[in-house]
Amino acid sequence: MDSINYQMAFEELKTIVAEIEQGEISVDQLSEKVKRATQLIKICKAKLSATEEDVNEILKDLQS
Amino acid sequence: MPEIANDRKVFTLLEVSKSVQKTIAERYKSTFWVKAEMNKLNYYSHSGHCYPELVEKQNGKVIAQIKSNLWREDFDNINRNFLKTLKEPLRDGIKILFLAKINFDPIHGLSLQIIDIDPSFTLGDLEKEKRETIENLKKENIFALNKSTQLPLLPKRIAIISVETSKGYIDFLQVLESNAWNYKFFHFLFPSLLQGEKAVQGISTQLKRIEKVIHHFDVVAIIRGGGGDVGLSCYNNYELAKAVANFPIPIITGIGHATNETVCEMVSYQNAITPTKIAEFLIQKFHNFSVPVEKAKELIIYKSKRLLSEEKTKVQSELKLFRSVTETIIQKNRNELDGAKKIIRQHLLFIFKTQSNDVNSYKEQLFKLSIIQLKQNALILQQLEGNLAMRTNLKLNQETIQLENLERNIQILDPINILKRGFSITRFNGKAVKESNEVSEGDVVETQLYSGKISSSIKNKNNG
Repeated sequence: MDSINYQMAFEELKTIVAEIEQGEISVDQLSEKVKRATQLIKICKAKLSATEEDVNEILKDLQS
Repeated sequence: MPEIANDRKVFTLLEVSKSVQKTIAERYKSTFWVKAEMNKLNYYSHSGHCYPELVEKQNGKVIAQIKSNLWREDFDNINRNFLKTLKEPLRDGIKILFLAKINFDPIHGLSLQIIDIDPSFTLGDLEKEKRETIENLKKENIFALNKSTQLPLLPKRIAIISVETSKGYIDFLQVLESNAWNYKFFHFLFPSLLQGEKAVQGISTQLKRIEKVIHHFDVVAIIRGGGGDVGLSCYNNYELAKAVANFPIPIITGIGHATNETVCEMVSYQNAITPTKIAEFLIQKFHNFSVPVEKAKELIIYKSKRLLSEEKTKVQSELKLFRSVTETIIQKNRNELDGAKKIIRQHLLFIFKTQSNDVNSYKEQLFKLSIIQLKQNALILQQLEGNLAMRTNLKLNQETIQLENLERNIQILDPINILKRGFSITRFNGKAVKESNEVSEGDVVETQLYSGKISSSIKNKNNG
């Protein structure tokens, strides 16, 4: 789930929102879509408040 | 005075120097304007004096060179003028038009004493450099290159070119890290001077270092802060501007409010002007991402709820309709059932009544018929009774007669009676012999007589 990048997560979220907005989603799909959207929102929010970069890695690369 | 030795006039070094000094002082009484390139300023901070190295170049080659001095008081005035007009201090590597006096000193030799420098000449030269830089970048089609790079949706990894202790850097980090939305950025400092001639080399070097680790970064921020808006002409340097324009990821500049935008700022992805603005720009990018996410969340909640409530309403109204329809149908059926029940009861009553009448009439008829039948039967019975007695007697008489006949016959047939008359029965193996071929010669046969039995063996026999 984490392998998805925020760009992709964001695009997918936009698609789901558009679908919901256009009323293309039936009650049958709703719970699944909402679940997925929640997951995507969680990923997006996590991306906003996390950094994955490692300073030591950069220093190592700079020296090589 | 020169001394005479061996008919020769001999001067001391000082005498020669003084002579030259005198000649020059007499020949160059006035001051005059000179243009030259100031290769090195050679400013000595403890004395406040400068000893600029002046050269004239042709095709990159030095064709004239004179030492010069610029005394503290003149330097201060000139520098003040420069800062005012050029936003640049007096520095190495600029072309100057200066007012000078030629001096000759017995110890220091020939030099020009700089009394004044015209900043507008240098300004023209600097502007020419800037213009040329722009023209060259455009000619090489790289002027807009950095602007055409793609800033990621979330520019969260920032390579910063700045000075650790500068106010701009501190401001930048402060805004970035204390954002109220808890956005997390990653940043890494690549230290460099940010103004004056050394900035060109410094920034270029750091850009090269960043390029080595480019996969760790989304954006480069060049941050200068404090120090007033002087010494920025380095950002018009062709090599530096080219490095910025060619950089593979977006560069955002925040080097302060220059009167004129420098070339580096022009070619950068975004000129945010101040360090704080860079931070705000980046945070805004996060907002651009976060706000739609937040809105999407709300929209999904709202729309889902609405969809569900709409469906619920639909189901309820269907239910209501269904209930009312079914109730109608049930009522209708019930009514029909009641009607049918009534009809059935009436019919039943009618049928029952008719049947009951029929049954009564049958009963009487049956009764009458039964009596007739009984009477007839009794009659027949009487007749049969009479018949039976008569027929029985008849039958008995007949039987008696027959029996008597039979008795007589039997008496006639009894073998004893025949044997009495001299007939005998020959038996072989207990069986009466009626034909001669039933026995063979030698067989022993038994012959029964009226009284007693004899055994004999057959001597011969005659068939026929």
